[in-house]
Amino acid sequence: MQTPGTYISATGHIVLIGWLILGWGLDSEPLEFEAMDVSVVSGEEFEQMMAARTPTPGNAEPTAPAQPIIDDTPPPPPAEEQPAETAPPPEPVDQPVEELPPPPPPAPLVTEATDEPPIAPEVPAAAPSSPNVDVNEPPAPTQADRIASTPSAPPPPDTQIDDIVREEVVPDETAPAEVVTEEVTPTAPEETAPEIALENEKPSGLVETSLRPVARPSRPTPPAAEPDAPTQTAETPVEAPTPPANEASDDAVAAALAAALAAEAPSAPAVAAGPPMTGSERDSFRVSVNRCWNVDPGSVAARVTVEVGFELDRNGLVVGQPRLISAQGDQSAADTAFEAARRAILRCQSGGYQLPADKYDQWKDVVITFDPSGMRLR
Amino acid sequence: MRIRVNLTMRNEAKMMKRLLTLLVALMLAGPVAAQNGPLRLTITDGVIEPITFAAPTFQAENAEATQVANDLNRLVAQDLSGTGLFREIPANAFISQVSSFSQPVQFADWRAINAQALVVGAVAMNGGQLTVKFRLYDVFSGQELGGGLQFAGTTAGWRRMGHKVADAVYSRVTGEGGYFDSRVVYVAESGPKDNRQMRLAIMDFDGANVQYLTDSSTIVLAPRFSPNGDRVLYTSFESGFPRINVLNVANVGRQQLQTAPGEMAFSPRFSRDGGSVIYSLSNGGNTDIFRSDLSTGQYTRLTSAPSIETAPSLSPDGSQIVFESDRSGTQQLYIMSANGGEARRISFGEGRYGTPVWSPRGDLVAFTKQHAGRFHIGVMRTDGSEERLLTASFLDEGPTWSPNGRVIMFSRETQGESGTTSLYSVDISGRNLKAVPVQGGASDPSWGPLQP
Repeated sequence: MQTPGTYISATGHIVLIGWLILGWGLDSEPLEFEAMDVSVVSGEEFEQMMAARTPTPGNAEPTAPAQPIIDDTPPPPPAEEQPAETAPPPEPVDQPVEELPPPPPPAPLVTEATDEPPIAPEVPAAAPSSPNVDVNEPPAPTQADRIASTPSAPPPPDTQIDDIVREEVVPDETAPAEVVTEEVTPTAPEETAPEIALENEKPSGLVETSLRPVARPSRPTPPAAEPDAPTQTAETPVEAPTPPANEASDDAVAAALAAALAAEAPSAPAVAAGPPMTGSERDSFRVSVNRCWNVDPGSVAARVTVEVGFELDRNGLVVGQPRLISAQGDQSAADTAFEAARRAILRCQSGGYQLPADKYDQWKDVVITFDPSGMRLR
Repeated sequence: MRIRVNLTMRNEAKMMKRLLTLLVALMLAGPVAAQNGPLRLTITDGVIEPITFAAPTFQAENAEATQVANDLNRLVAQDLSGTGLFREIPANAFISQVSSFSQPVQFADWRAINAQALVVGAVAMNGGQLTVKFRLYDVFSGQELGGGLQFAGTTAGWRRMGHKVADAVYSRVTGEGGYFDSRVVYVAESGPKDNRQMRLAIMDFDGANVQYLTDSSTIVLAPRFSPNGDRVLYTSFESGFPRINVLNVANVGRQQLQTAPGEMAFSPRFSRDGGSVIYSLSNGGNTDIFRSDLSTGQYTRLTSAPSIETAPSLSPDGSQIVFESDRSGTQQLYIMSANGGEARRISFGEGRYGTPVWSPRGDLVAFTKQHAGRFHIGVMRTDGSEERLLTASFLDEGPTWSPNGRVIMFSRETQGESGTTSLYSVDISGRNLKAVPVQGGASDPSWGPLQP
């Protein structure tokens, strides 16, 4: 049945399809693409070309002797040449060349820029640093028998070793007869170095270890025992708010108050022992003992911390023998560590420790903790 | 309800005020009471210096012992000063003399010259028999350190008795064992560098009493003492290839060790019980570590890597082995169990590490390190931390430990065609580097145990 609709539909279809086929008004540009022109060469020709292109020995050298010249050339030329050089490398890729594509990009840089390869700017930075290492090298530590934290220079040749420095005093012949000056032999402290001098090695210039910061000298431990106990007993009554407990704790608190006030009274006369020892007095006492404390860094006793107690009389002389209170660390060497500490205390008294006489009550009993842990690797 | 709550709160407030007063009162009383306690100080900074000691002349109990008494006295003083931990006070500084062994000591005189230790001795000689006794005093505490000791022996062995006295003094003062009565086996070298004559030799640790154990007909290397000092293992080129020989020190008799089949065997060490030997064996270009039993000849392979594993050394308890391997590309130190198994690297510094030796104390490993054209002898802990280089020179190598793990002896070679090799020793703290006085060239030392 051929209705008019059929005719219209067929016509429309034919028009549409014909329009699509013919493509009126449907033009578009194709995507851009690069065309590379290639020429075919034979094997022999290729070999000849490669032989011709090998750089002569003269071209490879310039990088080495050119480096000292780099220091003199001002920076702008390398900056200027770089943008000029970035332009040529893309071009050889597009141009039809007789060499095999692509020529390695660094090659044009080497042949064109004889004194500015891109890595050059780093070399002048490295070269001056090596002479600097020698300049900054610390002076080699001197060899000395005695190692202590306060170094001292070797004594003049005709002096004897002693702790204090004495000048030579010769009786003056021109002085009047009544003035008699004793002849005193010159003395000076022994040569001391701050650290063990290992055989001289060239340092690599690198920091191989980081030094542990010196610890602050510990403060005298405040007596915290007594306030701790009452705070604990005080807390438990506070947590029990029942009335019967209140009354009982009230009585307990009153009793404790009375006891505390009573305890204050007898200790009041002892307060006359004087003001507490100042930090500098404690420091000078400590320094006068540690001068004689001999630590052997390679032995097992250097891992033991000992507490030694002793008593002093009014002149600062040790009464009786120092006693060992506790030892921590390697117990096998506890005796050796204690003996070294005892020797230190007894050697350095030499006439009595210099301590303030009016504070005798505070220093008549002393407990010193000898801790060699910082000295082990000296 | 409300009234009760108010009452409770009022009671609590009252109690709080009372408690505060109590606290304040006790806190005021606290420091006052504690001021009567002992003065407490902490000292962390000491000095490192030699302990001064005085050794007055030993008393000779009969006339013929005078010479020996003087010699013994000098030997003891020299042993102690040679450690670098002691310093002798010369005799011209003494204020009072010790005239008799049993006389009470005037400590004040010795304190005045700052002698911390005093060694008093007496010697008696009866024909070929020598008796030595000594006492050690701690001058500043006015007490004797330990009891008196007496040794008896032959006159010819006077040096050993002197070393034993020095050992006793050393161990009482420092708390460690001594190492003076021990021997060192080494390779004695002579001749120019291109034609070296090498023979095994044994001497006291201080260079005295040198005796030769082999002739110089063949190259010998790296002798190693057994744990009880009766045998020596060494590498010999007698057969044209390096093989391991066991030498008996007493009768100088030797035999070749039966190893696993291989071309070259070297770098041997005894096990802690002296019944087996660990060594390196090279086969077809690959070197690995093996263990052989001395009595049965059975062998066990301990490593099986394509890299070179050599220089094994056992820990004091015999449970681990430290060795040198280049499996990472350069020679480094590794630790593994004594039955083989996985190895753990312990050396991570710059340079190459070799010839590891485990300390008799078990806490340190000594090694040779090559870096930037120089050789160093160093020590590190068994986990690789705390590495310390003790020496630096043109060529230092082959460390060996003293019996107390305190001193390392090694060989040092000088540069050039006429360069010679000699033995040096250094304390593990890096101090007291000195040459061992041996006549002629010497290398590859191995320190034996303390003699009974």
